[in-house]
Amino acid sequence: MLVSWRWLSQFVDTRGVDPLHFAGKFTTTVAEIDDVVQWGFGLREVRVADVIAVAPHPNADKLRLATVDLGERTVQVVCGAPDLAVGMRVPFVPPGVTLPSGITVRDGEVRGVASPGMLASEKDLGLSDENAGLLSLDGCDAPAGTPLHLAIELEDVLYDVDNKAITHRPDLWGLYGVAREVAAMLDKPLKPFDLSLDFASPAPLTIAVEAPEACPRYTCARVAGVAVQPAPVNARLLLRRLGTRPISNLVDATNLVMLETGNPLHAFDARFLRGNAITVRRALPHETLTTLDGQLRHLQAHDCVICDAVGPVALAGIMGGADSEIRPDTTEVVLEAANFDAPTIRRTAMRLGMRSESSARFEKALDPALAAVAARRFLKLCLAWSPDAQIVSHLADVGPFSAEAKPLTVLRTTGSYLRERLGVTAAELPDAWLDACLTRLEFQVARDGDALAVTIPSFRATKDVKIAEDLIEELGRHYGYDNVRSEAPRVAARPPYTPPLKLLERQVRTTLVHAGLTEQVLYGFDDEDTRKRLGLAEPAPLTRVAVRNPIASAHTHMRRNVLPNLLAVAEKGLVQGDDGQPARKGLNIGVFEIGRVFVPEKSNDRGLPPVLVNGTADDLAAYTAGMEGEMLRGVLDARAGSTPLPLQPIRLGIVIAERLGGGAEGSKLVFPAPEVTHRLLQQLIATLHHLLKWLGKEPLTLQARGPAASLGAPDATPSWRSDLGFDLVATTGETIGFVAALHPRVRIALDQPAQAVVAELDLTALERVPAFKRVNP
Amino acid sequence: MSELPDWQIEIDQAAIRWQAEIDDAAALEALRSLEVRALGKAGEIPGLMKRIPQIPPQDRKAFGQAVNALQAHVAATIEARRQVLVEALIAAELQDATFDPAAVALPLKLGHPHPLSTVQADIEAIFTSMGFHVLDYPEIESEFDNFEALNIPGWHPAREMQDTFWLESGHLLRTHTSAGQVRAMHQFPAPFRAIFPGKVYRYEATDASHEHTFHQVEGLMIDRKVSVGHLLDSMRTLLSAILQREVEIRLRPGYFPFVEPGFELDIRCQVCAGDGCSACKRRGWLELLPCGLVHPNVLRAGGLDPEEWQGWAFGLGLSRLVMMRYGVPDVRLLMGGDLRFLSQF
Repeated sequence: MLVSWRWLSQFVDTRGVDPLHFAGKFTTTVAEIDDVVQWGFGLREVRVADVIAVAPHPNADKLRLATVDLGERTVQVVCGAPDLAVGMRVPFVPPGVTLPSGITVRDGEVRGVASPGMLASEKDLGLSDENAGLLSLDGCDAPAGTPLHLAIELEDVLYDVDNKAITHRPDLWGLYGVAREVAAMLDKPLKPFDLSLDFASPAPLTIAVEAPEACPRYTCARVAGVAVQPAPVNARLLLRRLGTRPISNLVDATNLVMLETGNPLHAFDARFLRGNAITVRRALPHETLTTLDGQLRHLQAHDCVICDAVGPVALAGIMGGADSEIRPDTTEVVLEAANFDAPTIRRTAMRLGMRSESSARFEKALDPALAAVAARRFLKLCLAWSPDAQIVSHLADVGPFSAEAKPLTVLRTTGSYLRERLGVTAAELPDAWLDACLTRLEFQVARDGDALAVTIPSFRATKDVKIAEDLIEELGRHYGYDNVRSEAPRVAARPPYTPPLKLLERQVRTTLVHAGLTEQVLYGFDDEDTRKRLGLAEPAPLTRVAVRNPIASAHTHMRRNVLPNLLAVAEKGLVQGDDGQPARKGLNIGVFEIGRVFVPEKSNDRGLPPVLVNGTADDLAAYTAGMEGEMLRGVLDARAGSTPLPLQPIRLGIVIAERLGGGAEGSKLVFPAPEVTHRLLQQLIATLHHLLKWLGKEPLTLQARGPAASLGAPDATPSWRSDLGFDLVATTGETIGFVAALHPRVRIALDQPAQAVVAELDLTALERVPAFKRVNP
Repeated sequence: MSELPDWQIEIDQAAIRWQAEIDDAAALEALRSLEVRALGKAGEIPGLMKRIPQIPPQDRKAFGQAVNALQAHVAATIEARRQVLVEALIAAELQDATFDPAAVALPLKLGHPHPLSTVQADIEAIFTSMGFHVLDYPEIESEFDNFEALNIPGWHPAREMQDTFWLESGHLLRTHTSAGQVRAMHQFPAPFRAIFPGKVYRYEATDASHEHTFHQVEGLMIDRKVSVGHLLDSMRTLLSAILQREVEIRLRPGYFPFVEPGFELDIRCQVCAGDGCSACKRRGWLELLPCGLVHPNVLRAGGLDPEEWQGWAFGLGLSRLVMMRYGVPDVRLLMGGDLRFLSQF
């Protein structure tokens, strides 16, 4: 979000503060600034000029000759702008001036006619990309010839605040909230809004909020006698540099007030509201609405809509309808300044893919108190920008929100608690400073000795401030975290615990690397493409954990074995080469992975604290004591609805592969001599014996592989050979894994003529293999 | 002048002959066979003693002494010659110019640990040395551990922000290692400190800086009277050890539902020392990790009374750290399995 320093300075006295320097402090106190942009500098030579005559160019159709009044003199220049007309006020750039856009204005001729100077567009002046016509200074009442920077608001510094840094701060989505923070940082007062208005007595319309949970507050007023015209030049340029296209005084006023207060607004052309009633409700089945952008939107039951007597006229908080939008001939408007429920708006905006400036703000949970402020700010601007306009209604205010119905929350804590959490002493952060800091941020502080009762202002209460701990941040960021003394924690000196499996994992990794194998870390997803391409055994239904929202068509299931992914990278290695060796006949590569696999059998882990699984009623009461609201509900729901997690054993997979000869195009059908496969199996088995020895475990024996494959999913078609496949059996009789050569069909499916052998071991089972008993000397 | 007896002449001549033969021996092997011929059990010099009966009785003593003297002389001469030959061989050995140190072929092939494992092992060693448990928690998690227990209720935008892989069973792939926080609180009595590294998953499209699967390390310290000051000290100490240099850190306000206050921790850019450069986008600081004091609701979910116990927590991007340490330009290389990449580690 862009913040204009010049605009902000209308609410805070920033004299003497260098905004470029201040940006660093703002970043550590409020929110990160991505970029600081200087706007409208280098234009002090430009003058206000009145166009007093326009004549055709004798030598060019698209150019004209403009005579402009510069106060003390008149000048005739050549101008190509299509909108040039007598009576316009425009910027005049004298010859010799180089503009920020890089254009140097020369005192020369254009197509044979002298042109000592230039009339400029916004783009020429580097103010925006707008280049369709001249920058219109209509409405600026400085005398002709006045330097531009004295006639209109130029020379601004913009902070580009990282939107991600303020998602939890609805109050910072309007300039005024940012100004409040700056005022607190500078210890200066924040200028209140001028909200004084005279209203008429009739109601704008009959308003009914039928979905109060979606619309806590709906304010509305009616203005007649408006004239749709461009907004004043300063407002237009302000919108431009904040990234919004100026459209007309009415639309610009809604946008400007949104940027100022943070509360989005919508103005309807009163002519097109059918009937005399506005209803805020959830959408009906099959209801549709054509929004401002011309798209037909199909609504669903949880969408919130604004309706006239006939049907929807706006998608609440997101976008107005096309039928009732402001037009050039609009004379009477119905203004809406409302507050909408954040999840409702977010869900609808996401589903329809229409994140607007408006929805982005409502999604942050805006302060309902803001709606009436925004309405009044709009009405002030509307009256100021449209001389004959008058408010012809009262300010309707409907919905469940009211300051009385929902009193502000009071947090009870102590100064010493807040200081202790921050890590500062009373001498460093005295009571008076603490109280003043919170007060500047518009918290109400009532102190009784050390005890504090702190009232949360409404604009902070909707989201980020809920508990006393939230005040630590308020104090800390304004005190400056750099000023907090760094202090070593006092901790008990105890040897840390490392799970045995973790230690085993480290030893296995080191040993296998020393045995010449390269470690892999691969996806937890199975890869259907690899499975299909290599013709690996198709897992029976429900033997793998299924992903509900796969990100790729190949990643629909979690892996149940580490081998398929590992075989695919070994295969790739045979094509790409390894360790600086080119891929050629005889290239021998070995890879391993230690990682989790997922077996859809119920474990005894439900992902819940033990007290929620098998605690007594008393245990549960003790556990939930102190939990409130969402938290308590979430805990009880989790207890009621939990299911056991699948098994997630850690497996060790090894693939040793060797490139065979042959392999010219079309001759992948290579059948290796048995000795080749035997040699690779020996290499793999020797590596495993070596591993067990290094781990200090009793040796494994290899037994012909039974039909019940120990670690694989139940296979319909085999991936591995059973004649050259062996179970790895511990002295305890437990089978901890297997080794095997590839089934010839899988081998033939490999990219290159190659042979490979594989092993998969369960790490927990490996951990259980007894330690080797040393014989006596 | 008395005539020398014949045996005496014979012994003198033998001495001269052996001396010549010894001088002629050019190799240790020739010298050894000569030694056997001269001094061996069946050798020529010991064989002289068999002639005692033919020597006149009055000369026998002198004869015996002369043979012994000859034997000692020849033995000493051989030994001296051997020394000369050994010296020559040593000198010759020291003149080897035939070795080419560049022409070395390793007889054994070493494999390669994965850089993620290496960096993770370094981090585990550092934290272990400072008394942290090193724990491992499941990748398939309950909504409770991943969200509810971390103060992220159902409607919370964080659940959308961290786009999640959901499983048909209703479980999910953990979106952060923070899912282990409440597990750890129930596994160990307070106070304790622990890290839990591992794989995490986010439903997001992959590109050079995004992966749907990546690695994190969670850090958690639970104790009494934990403050922001402690967090600052711990983070500076640990990050200096991890990054192997003294780091300057700063905290910025940051929002994460499971910490309060929450921070984004920046480190001073090492490329420009804070002056601003392209590496830090001219900010002088690099955003490194989110951290904060454990939210009271998370402590409650962990069965701890927030009045008595507090804590700090952080989440460090292990994949990002690997990329920083080795200058890896594309995160997809880490889990891409390419041996040409992995064999460089």
